[in-house]
Amino acid sequence: MEASPPAEIPAEIPAEPPSVGLRELFFAFFRLGLMTFGGAVQSWLHRDIIVRRKWADEEAFVNGLSMATVLPGANPVNMSLYLGMRIRGGVGGLVAVVGIVLPAFCIILLLGLAFHRLIGFPVVHFVLAGLAASGVGVTFFTAMKVAWRLPRNVFNMVMGVLVFLASAVLRLPMVPIVAIAVPLSIGYAYWDARRARDA
Amino acid sequence: MLEKLLSLVAVFAPLSLLSFGGGQAIIPEMQHKTVDAQHWLDGKAFADIFGLSRAAPGPSTLIVALIGWQVAGFLGALTATIAIFLPSSLLLYGISTWWRRNPDSPMREAIDKGLAPVATGLFFAGPVVILRSAHAGYLEMATTAGVCLILFLTKAGPYAIASGIVALYAALYAIAGHSPV
Repeated sequence: MEASPPAEIPAEIPAEPPSVGLRELFFAFFRLGLMTFGGAVQSWLHRDIIVRRKWADEEAFVNGLSMATVLPGANPVNMSLYLGMRIRGGVGGLVAVVGIVLPAFCIILLLGLAFHRLIGFPVVHFVLAGLAASGVGVTFFTAMKVAWRLPRNVFNMVMGVLVFLASAVLRLPMVPIVAIAVPLSIGYAYWDARRARDA
Repeated sequence: MLEKLLSLVAVFAPLSLLSFGGGQAIIPEMQHKTVDAQHWLDGKAFADIFGLSRAAPGPSTLIVALIGWQVAGFLGALTATIAIFLPSSLLLYGISTWWRRNPDSPMREAIDKGLAPVATGLFFAGPVVILRSAHAGYLEMATTAGVCLILFLTKAGPYAIASGIVALYAALYAIAGHSPV
């Protein structure tokens, strides 16, 4: 753990996370960008930025995840942008995105150069399949943790399961799923909050 | 050269705003645009670099860097990468800035609460789709389950997991003398 910088935060907003240096922010995302295989970037972001470094809280993660998933754009990049903005504003977002993309950008170009030589060895395919499978495991684990923290009401459970089935089992395209599920779910949350206020 | 770079932007920047649910969603459209329409590469080359982009770390959308490289070398790779990430990033920047300026609106709270179950369902669906499209066997499924268990029981980070997997798979391969699956 790095030492946290001296507390310059006024006492009246204790909920604000400690100020994080831009260089520190860059290298945290750079490290994650280097070693996150198989589509598991968000999950490692959660484990590193939220759980280990505590630069943002769980609520920020779930909000970011919602926005990163529903809006267009690569989810890991959206997620890094969102968390970077939460931590250090617009500049923080830019630094986080460059940090997460730069190592992968360099590696993919090197792999591209070496590709025809590498692909001759079957062991390369085998190890890559293992890395992809481990990435899937990381994603599952984080999905379970996120689901565990959702408010447990019938609507949330039914909505989550239906969206999962539509995407994973029926393989429906993203746009109609989002176009139907998002307004329904937001509408329910709005109605539910009003009902709670009136009661 | 400039013409090539501009055509990369013209192909990838609109795809950026269409990539709902991440990079996976735009792969078919990207193949159509780059292979059938622009003839930047043939179908087999596209399949090859797709596999490669899945194996590399980071977002799978970085497949555009390899296509850009094919078209215009390093500058092409850089241009394609910026073109695919910038438009969607600006959109997210704008929306989340509005978000934080209106913290007390009841609509904002409803959006926060309402998006969460949808995002969680999609988050669970991602790994299932990857496992299915990779035709995963018992070894891959055991790997997936094992990694879940390790994360639950320990504080292992990405380096430890990735090097463990590489060592384990290389050892399995060495023992079996061929690909065990």
